[in-house]
Amino acid sequence: MGKMSAALASFALMGLATKTDHAESIVARHHPVGASTGYMRDLRGDWEAQVAAAWRVSSFAIELSALSEAELPSLAEYLRGPRNLPFRYISIHGPSKGRQMDEEKLVASLAQLVPCADGIVMHPDTMEDLRLYRPLGHKLLLENMDARKSEGRTPEELEESFSELPDAGFCFDVPHAWSIDHGMSVASNLLDKFRDRLRHVHLSSLSDDLHHVPLTEEDQRLFGPVLRRCLDVPWIFEAPLSTA
Amino acid sequence: MEPSGVSPLKDLAEKAGRDFPHLFDARERTATGLAKRRASLQPLRHSLEASIVLMGSWGRAEVTSGSDDDFMVLLHGAEGSEVLPTIDEVSGVLKHFPSEDGPFASPVFSQKLVHQIGLDGDDNKNLTRRLLFLLESIPVTGEKVFGTVRDEILDRYLDESVKPYRPPRFLLNDVVRYWRTICVDFAAKEWKGPEKWGIRNAKLRTSRKILFAGGLLPVLECSRFDVVPMRAFLEEERGRPPTDRIARAFLENDASDEGARTLGAYDEFVGWMHQSDFREELESVTRDTAKTSPAFSEAERIGKELQAGLLALLHETSSQLAKVVRDYAIF
Repeated sequence: MGKMSAALASFALMGLATKTDHAESIVARHHPVGASTGYMRDLRGDWEAQVAAAWRVSSFAIELSALSEAELPSLAEYLRGPRNLPFRYISIHGPSKGRQMDEEKLVASLAQLVPCADGIVMHPDTMEDLRLYRPLGHKLLLENMDARKSEGRTPEELEESFSELPDAGFCFDVPHAWSIDHGMSVASNLLDKFRDRLRHVHLSSLSDDLHHVPLTEEDQRLFGPVLRRCLDVPWIFEAPLSTA
Repeated sequence: MEPSGVSPLKDLAEKAGRDFPHLFDARERTATGLAKRRASLQPLRHSLEASIVLMGSWGRAEVTSGSDDDFMVLLHGAEGSEVLPTIDEVSGVLKHFPSEDGPFASPVFSQKLVHQIGLDGDDNKNLTRRLLFLLESIPVTGEKVFGTVRDEILDRYLDESVKPYRPPRFLLNDVVRYWRTICVDFAAKEWKGPEKWGIRNAKLRTSRKILFAGGLLPVLECSRFDVVPMRAFLEEERGRPPTDRIARAFLENDASDEGARTLGAYDEFVGWMHQSDFREELESVTRDTAKTSPAFSEAERIGKELQAGLLALLHETSSQLAKVVRDYAIF
């Protein structure tokens, strides 16, 4: 082979080598990932068991879900207890169901958890007086909502919340964005708008009635382009990993 | 050597649709300050092969209101008798005196930087002088001397061991060794006493990491080049501030979102460091008081975001770079 051909061949190989290998699972390659205890319904109320189950998925990140207000006191007690958790990233999902607590008391409860977590995720459609949440500062993360909700779903709707909470971060729920627009334009637009606020990603597929289910291969491929823009933040699985 | 005029940091800002206001303001302050210092230092009598070099935030183009005029008097050649200007003369103009036991308390002779790489002669001071000169410095006088010394150091690293399409291991090992030295020195200083723990820790998480990443990334990316273009690439990169080298790496690896968040976090830190009350609070923080310091909490958060972005760049954004990291970053 002549020198010129050899040079061209080496350039061609370099070009192939520099392209990301799309066949390789983007989820399998990502670090850190973690589990949300929100899908561990059978273990609800037992934080020790939930943490152990999450630890088996990943020791690097976790989302502790106190989806109902009643779970907050036990979570606070658990986190105050004499233990060392291995996770380098801990987020807490605040109450999103059956809201009854006075909002000031709720924020006070969440504020007690701030030192224990890297982020506290809240659904904007459950927050009434946004200004009350300002003391949570950078630790407060607003999550984009799914198609069942009436607000907090699109960049425009979320911008209203962020304008009242300028320090808050963004928890990007990829399947929620998919439920608004299967073509993933809303997902891309959410990232375009709030890329600087991004703190972590929620990841799963959704059932027909929009509940979190294990991530399918098809959805992993579909979500790939937006996930590719979130490589520097933890990805939290909101459903068990698929065993298929 | 002057940068090419193209700023990858500006390109990243445009691609990501955002600004890095504190970094760009700092670059302007640096340029203005350099011009003033050149005017005031040039009248000093200089030995033929002397250069006055500013270090630290000057070299990174990140001058803030709290920046010191850390300088080196550099002499091209072997240790000799008289060196002009003297450290005292430069200190008198800059109103900054190097710390007595620091690496720049006496003139720096290039022969030692070039000939003593590794082994007993390459003590902590010599390593520090050489790597800070390479990664974080800018000439105020004697630009030609500065350029000559930089060329000689690069010649030393890019010796016959350099292979095409491979990171130059000699240079890679020294850059990594310097980073690990800074980290070990931090622990050693803490062992001596709790003073200034907060500011040192904060800087380790941020500006020291930027210094290291700005040195590491171009070396790893030498894997894209044959030997001659590799040298040209390194020469071009050495003329840029670390934030430009890092921005370029994010852009080259199609990771502008991650780059924007990484350098956005650092931009925030530079903004904070421009505020005296923030710096003063950090300077008073010890390991015991860190948890209750808002300033330290900010620095810690920023450091985590910065590191997460750099690690994503090294390990996930491009399979080529990730494989180079795998093959060269540990052994």
